Amino acid sequence: MHGTPEQLIACHECDLLIARVTTNPGEDVICPRCHARLYYTTINCIERLLALSVAGLILFIPANLFPILSLQVFGQSQSEIILQSAMSLYEGGLPLVALLILLFAVVVPLFQLIALFYISFTLHYRRQGRLLRQAMHSYQHLRGWGMLEIFLLGVLISIIKLKDIANLDIGLGLYSLGALIVVITLNSLYFNPHQIWDEIHQHRQRGYADD
Amino acid sequence: MLMTDHSPLYRSARERGYLLCTDCDKLHRISLEGEHCDRCGARLHSRIPNSMNLSWASLLAAILLFLPANLLPIMTFRSFGQGEPTTITGGILHLLEQDMLMIGMVVLIASIVVPVLKIIAMTILLCTVQFRLQTNLRQKTIMFRIIEWIGRWSMLDIFVIGILVALVQLGNIAHIEGNDGATAFAIVVLLTMFSALSFDTRLIWDKRAPDLPPGMTDKKDEQ
Repeated sequence: MHGTPEQLIACHECDLLIARVTTNPGEDVICPRCHARLYYTTINCIERLLALSVAGLILFIPANLFPILSLQVFGQSQSEIILQSAMSLYEGGLPLVALLILLFAVVVPLFQLIALFYISFTLHYRRQGRLLRQAMHSYQHLRGWGMLEIFLLGVLISIIKLKDIANLDIGLGLYSLGALIVVITLNSLYFNPHQIWDEIHQHRQRGYADD
Repeated sequence: MLMTDHSPLYRSARERGYLLCTDCDKLHRISLEGEHCDRCGARLHSRIPNSMNLSWASLLAAILLFLPANLLPIMTFRSFGQGEPTTITGGILHLLEQDMLMIGMVVLIASIVVPVLKIIAMTILLCTVQFRLQTNLRQKTIMFRIIEWIGRWSMLDIFVIGILVALVQLGNIAHIEGNDGATAFAIVVLLTMFSALSFDTRLIWDKRAPDLPPGMTDKKDEQ
């Protein structure tokens, strides 16, 4: 198989070299050897990501400011926001576990939403984007490290564990968290790295980026 | 024409003198190894540098820490002065005793089954590359995709501890605190994730030794 690098593509999972073919929206190019999905077209990829990242950033606020759960025992009550999981563990002498919870459940998801908003906003409105490539690298390398859906399952398990010994109230924070997870899942579904890198390439060629 | 996994017609980009930018999927000439990709700026490597060493090291460290993670208590629940530290296994048994079968199974799968399977699977994959085994390569690739996706769910118990510790702070009435086993377990999960992250799946399909520089072939290639 010969040709210029532009006419060829290698599988990112098994390195098989194959000829590049054009695809229609809804069609996937699958590696014939290891069956990895090589590339595909997402309709309105940038616009969907822009809408979803704005929704995600808005939902992030109530999900982190309102209590997820409140617990009542003998008239005493205690409510919890996501950040407190990290704080209590830090105060309880487990700084590393506290740091991981802070990173995986708060910092990484927020950073990914900001990066995605920056990428889609810059590309859609054709603004100067000095940090476009850095934002893309960060988002791609952080995939898998945002663990809000696992945190949510943790909340559900905690509810079941505590329901016999105390009264539990589900707070607004938990509903916001649920909605936020839906948005983040859709984000990663519509995030099409191949297509976005192409857009960034065109964006730079038009002279919008000057780094 | 039907091609099998090992069709002689299949050639990797590396064998053909190309390398793929892992960040933006642009194909380059292999002579650009170590340079920056002109499209996305990432450093170009035909294979992840030191992939095998990093992956083995993280995996072995994870195996070692798996013992304290399971033997040390992860949290202590105290109510009116009563209560003692529980380990991961103890917590699961407690759930099963209380007839919370579903939840017990979920925690069992996330905290024990998944880490153990992930450690076994990574060992199989690393041995495949190390000893250049050439069987069931596609199944092994699929296995890697599954463990890469499912491994993060082991953090579940860590989050449960975080939530319970933050919520149950009612002084004498009820009080939960975290213990060192949780730190060990969190590091195990982290290390297995690093091990999978450093592992380059393309090495599974390479017919030559992983540490051979690009452009050089050994005899196995000629077959």
